[in-house]
Parts: sequence; structure tokens; C-alpha cells
Amino acid sequence: MTAVQAPAAARPTPVKRGPLRATARLLRLELRRNAMLWMLPVAIGLFWFTAYRKAVAIPPLWNLRAASMQIGALLAFVCPVVGAAAWMGSRESRRHTTDLVTITARPRWVRQLATWAATTCWATVGYLGCVAALYGVTAQQAAWGGPLWWPAAVAAASLPALSALGFAAGTLIPSRFTPPVATVAAFFVLALSTQLIVGSQSYWQISPVVTGPWDMTPDAGVGTFYPYLPDLPIAQVMFLTGLTIAVLGAVALPGGSGGGWLRRPAAAVTMAGLVAAGTAVALAGTGTMDAHGMIAIPALHDAANDRPLRYTPVCSHTAIPVCLNPAYASYLPTAATALAPVLSEVAGLPGAPVRISQAAATYRQGIGNSVGIGLPGPPISGTPPVFRLLLPSQLPGPTMTTSELAAAVRSSAGFALVASVIGDNAGATRAQQAVTAALSMSAGLPQSSPAAPTRQRPNATVPLPAPVQSAARRFAALPASARHSWLMQHLAALRAGRIALAQLP
Amino acid sequence: MTAGTARKVPAAAPDREARLAWPPRAGMRLLRLYAASRRVPVAIGAIAACAVGLRIALTGHWDSYGALQLPLVFEAGAAAAITITTASPLGEPERVTGRWLPFLRLATTLALTAAAAGALTAAGIGAHLAGGTVDVLRNLAGMTGIGLLCAAALGGRLAWIGPTGYLVVGAYGLYTQWHGPALTTPWIWPARPPHDVGAEMCAALVFTIGIVITSVRGAHDPAGE
Repeated sequence: MTAVQAPAAARPTPVKRGPLRATARLLRLELRRNAMLWMLPVAIGLFWFTAYRKAVAIPPLWNLRAASMQIGALLAFVCPVVGAAAWMGSRESRRHTTDLVTITARPRWVRQLATWAATTCWATVGYLGCVAALYGVTAQQAAWGGPLWWPAAVAAASLPALSALGFAAGTLIPSRFTPPVATVAAFFVLALSTQLIVGSQSYWQISPVVTGPWDMTPDAGVGTFYPYLPDLPIAQVMFLTGLTIAVLGAVALPGGSGGGWLRRPAAAVTMAGLVAAGTAVALAGTGTMDAHGMIAIPALHDAANDRPLRYTPVCSHTAIPVCLNPAYASYLPTAATALAPVLSEVAGLPGAPVRISQAAATYRQGIGNSVGIGLPGPPISGTPPVFRLLLPSQLPGPTMTTSELAAAVRSSAGFALVASVIGDNAGATRAQQAVTAALSMSAGLPQSSPAAPTRQRPNATVPLPAPVQSAARRFAALPASARHSWLMQHLAALRAGRIALAQLP
Repeated sequence: MTAGTARKVPAAAPDREARLAWPPRAGMRLLRLYAASRRVPVAIGAIAACAVGLRIALTGHWDSYGALQLPLVFEAGAAAAITITTASPLGEPERVTGRWLPFLRLATTLALTAAAAGALTAAGIGAHLAGGTVDVLRNLAGMTGIGLLCAAALGGRLAWIGPTGYLVVGAYGLYTQWHGPALTTPWIWPARPPHDVGAEMCAALVFTIGIVITSVRGAHDPAGE
């Protein structure tokens, strides 16, 4: 037989073995020889250092820890995953085996997909182990609620996309410089793309490191009183899936990856992926921050998620019970102890609340990325009256120690409670101001006047006039029982503004 | 070749001028070959790309996080590019015959580090480069040292693992300056102020150890690579 008579091989001859079995064997081989396996200690070490330590240091609330985990895990895994994928993608070129494996039965794309899948598998295994460790510890510490899976799903969906991007870079530009360049570029895009977010209607919220309104650090009040909205996570998972498909399809487009019979479906797959990713970006751009502090996307929103979560509050045994959401049960002793002197002063007075009940904060988008958080309406409402309390941890700010939390509860909720009972608001009389100051003095509260009672956070100390201070000191010097009996008799008149400063005992 | 024909061959460098000219030319050729074998021109291109990227990025508006983390990202890229040049494609034969190798390794690494420091500093001229020149030099030297240690342990081609891994640690260290508890150890030098002596000493120590080890022993060449 001469060379002329030899039949030309139009395309790789299919192997006889079952395709699934052969694919599984190829994947097993790739799993055994994958660089990501050796990068797992780096990824897990980075996760421990940057995500786990930080997450376990914050209060054991599922919403806080899940959001913190999503961001931390992504930034910990981006460098190892992209680097290892790029390293694996350039393997054939690095080992000068491109020509050798080109003549094998399987198209190049199929072999590349097996390598990518193995890299992604190891990265996912490492990530799931990290999530299991963090969620396991949180499950032991959290007083109420359960794991939030959407943040974990977004980070999990990011791994195939990161792996695909790194793999494509290594395949298309096989150089020893490709892994670090791809790694640094991926970190740059992931960590710093959020700089472009302005307000809650931003297309850049599609970035998987975004868990809610940007520049509002993971907030304790989000996802506790109302369900954690899956709108933005759904769009992010859709984007990441589309991106993964598009990138993997694009790997098959250059010549050499397969014949025209392979490139045409690969082009279709790439287009489908791009359409999915583009749609997700467009959806993310329509999102707005709702009143509960989460991003709601109209096209993906389920109205059932707007209903508050049911829970049985945990209450203290103080003069007026302090009742908190069970997720905040660990805060109850501190809050109850901090408010106990105030509660003793106002308990039993006409118009005094029968219960201090923790309320859900409402969120308003401000200028740029600023978010206003507070209580809607007056702090005391309902029949019988209930004082609605916002814990300092529901407001923006750094994590507090127990003593800092107690001081903050005293100065915010304590003062707001006294002012509400006495009626010391913007148009209060001097007698009301004096009685409020006297009760605050007796309860050991800081001497201040609330700038906005509904916010429960006095942000400006207004010095009282000398006659008011003098009357307050005089009233505070009375025995507690005398103060209480006087208030029982005159509180209605005092609230109505019919008591003059000179009439105070 | 016979003795007769040998006589026709011109004597090697008979005059004094030729003797003086030959060694520098050979030395330059050796340097050029060494640089080509280590992909030094590509590394220089990568460093230049990092500097250009930093310059372009600095023209944008960044908040405090971004302004501090931005230079660190490009410093890590430049450090990774420098350390990858330690990978040798020749392996054992070169180690056996190349008595100038330690000096070539040392000179190449020092020259690339100086070039990267200069390029990144130049990129910040006329813009707000957080930390300034001292920060650039410290972070670049420290991360290059980590990369060189990685090259000695894992191989030159995998030396990028060190700087890119440390990039995450450094960025997190900067993040903790806002969201405490702040990491204050000098071993996380990007999170320390520019003139912090402890951080400078740590970075310098890592760079010195890394450059000594890779100059003397070279990068680890894994079997099969």
C-alpha cells in the first residue's frame, strides 16, 4: 500500500469504549495530575487568614457571616484558582506535547474541558470544605436561623468562571508569564471593580463580591426580620454561568481545537453564554435597594419574600420586658442590664410602654452610596404602647464590645425611651426638658437632648439652659418613690405642656 | 586538519587591543544569552505593562481602599514577572558548566527589581501614588523576595505563587486598617506606614534571603518540567 492509497482520516475516529466511561477515565487522570490539588493549601490558608478569622470574630448571625464569607472566600480563591487554571491551560505548550496529543482520538476541546473540569472540581472541593467549616462553627454558635445558601452559591458559581478564565488565558497565550498576569488581572477586576458602583442601580453589582448595597458593610439587620432576597444572587449566578459557558465555548474557536463540525456548535454555545451573561448584567442594573436593605430586582422578585419572618422573641425579666429577635439572643443580657435603670424609672407611668420590642430597621438610599438606616415613625406606638428598639448593631458602624454596646444602648434607646414617655420632642416645654434630664440623670444616662427621637441616636449634645439644669438637678435629687408618685399624678399635664418649670418639685 | 592548515589560522587576539576587546564582547554575549534564556525581555515588557497599567489606573477616581490597594496589585504583578525569570530551560548542564551563573542571577534580579521600582515610581509622578516611592520599593522588594523563595522551593515557573498569594494577604492587611482589629505585624508590610522601620526590615530581610538563595543555588527545577 502506498501513501496515495491510504484513506485520509477526515476526523478523529471515535473510540470504541463507551463515551461516558472514557470521559470519566479522562477526568480521573486529570484529577490525579492537576495543579489545583497542590494549590489547595494556599487557597485554604488564605481563606483561613482573610475570611474565617474575620467571620468568626463577628457576632454569630447567619446573615453577617454568610455575607462576609462570600466576599472573603472569593478573594481568597481567586488567585489560586486562576493561577492553577492558567498553569493547566498552558500545560501542553509547556511540555511541548501539543503535536503529540493532537493526533489522539479525542478532539482537543474535549481534552481541554476535562482539564478545566478537574481544576474546577478541586477548587470546589476546597471551597466546600471551607464553607462547611465556617457554617459548622456558626451553626453551633448561632441562636436562631439557619444557613444562608445563596451567598455560598454565588461564591461556588464563581469558581468555574474563574477557572475558565484562567484556563482560557493559559490555553490561548501559553507563556510562563500568563499565570501571574491572569492572576493579578483577575484579582484587580474582582477586588477593585466595585469602585465603579454608585447607588443601588448599578450594572457593576453583578460582581460576585457584591452582597448588597455597596459601601454598606454587611449589616446585622439585613436578612433577619425579612427573608434574604435571592434577586441579586440569582442574577450573579446567571452571569457567572453565562460567562463560564461563553469562555469555554471560545476556547474551541481557534483553529486546532477541532474541525468545523466542532467550531460551529462552540460558537453557538459562546453566543448563548454571552446572551445569558448580558441579560444578567441588564437585570442587575434594574435592581434597587428595598426598605429592608437588600437589592430587589423587579423581574426576579418574589413578593412572598416581602413578608416578615415569623419568630418568637426572647424577653428579659425587667420592670418592662425587653424583647429581642431570637437571632440577637446573645445581646439580651447586655441590653436588659443597660436599660434596667431607665425601665425602673418609667415603669408604671401613664403612657409608658408595656414592652421594649426590637424592630426591623428601614433603609433609604441616600446620595451616592450612602444609606440611611432608622425607625419609621415614632418609637412608641400601638395599644398597649410598645417601645420599638433598634440595637446599635443594626446600625452602620464597627463591631462593638459588650461595654461599648451597653453604653450605646443606654445613650440611644435609654434616652429615647425617657424622652418618649415625657413627650420631650422638638416642641417640648422647659419643664419637660427638665424632667427628661432629671430622669436621665437618675438612670445614669448621658445628659443630652435627642436631635431626632425616631433615630434613637442622639448625635448632638445640646446644653440645657441654666434654669432647666437647676430644676432637673432638684427633681433628680428627690427620692425615686417621690419622683414616681409626682409623675403618676402630673405626667398627663406635663405631656400636655400645662406644667411650668417653677411647678416642678 | 593538518599542522600546515593550522598554521594558516590567524592567531587568536595577537595584539593587545584585541585582547582587551574580547572579554567584554564575550561577557555581553553571555549576558544576552542568559537574558534570552530567562525571558528577561518579556519580563521587562511585563514590568512596563504594570507601570503603564498603574499610570492609567491612577488617572481614575479611587476611594481610600482603592487608592491604597491599587499600587499593591501592580507591585505584585511586577514582582511575579521578576521572579519568573529565575526559571532555567537548561537545567543540569548549565549548572555544571556555568561558573558565572550566580553573578548572572544576582545581576539580573537586581537589575529587574531596580527597573521595576523605577518604572512604578515613574508611573506615580504627577498623580497620587499612595505611600510614595518608599512604599513601592519596600513592597516590591519584599514580594520579590517571597517570589524568589518560592522559586527556590517550587521552581522558577511557579514562583508567581508567592507574590500573588501575598497580594491577598497584603490587601487584607490594608482592609483591616478600616475594619479592625487592624493587623499590625511588620511581616504584613503593605499594611504598615511607608516609613515603618520594622516593616522595611522584614521586607529587606526576605528580599536578601531570597536573592542569596536563588543566586547561589538557582531556582528549583522540578523533574519533568
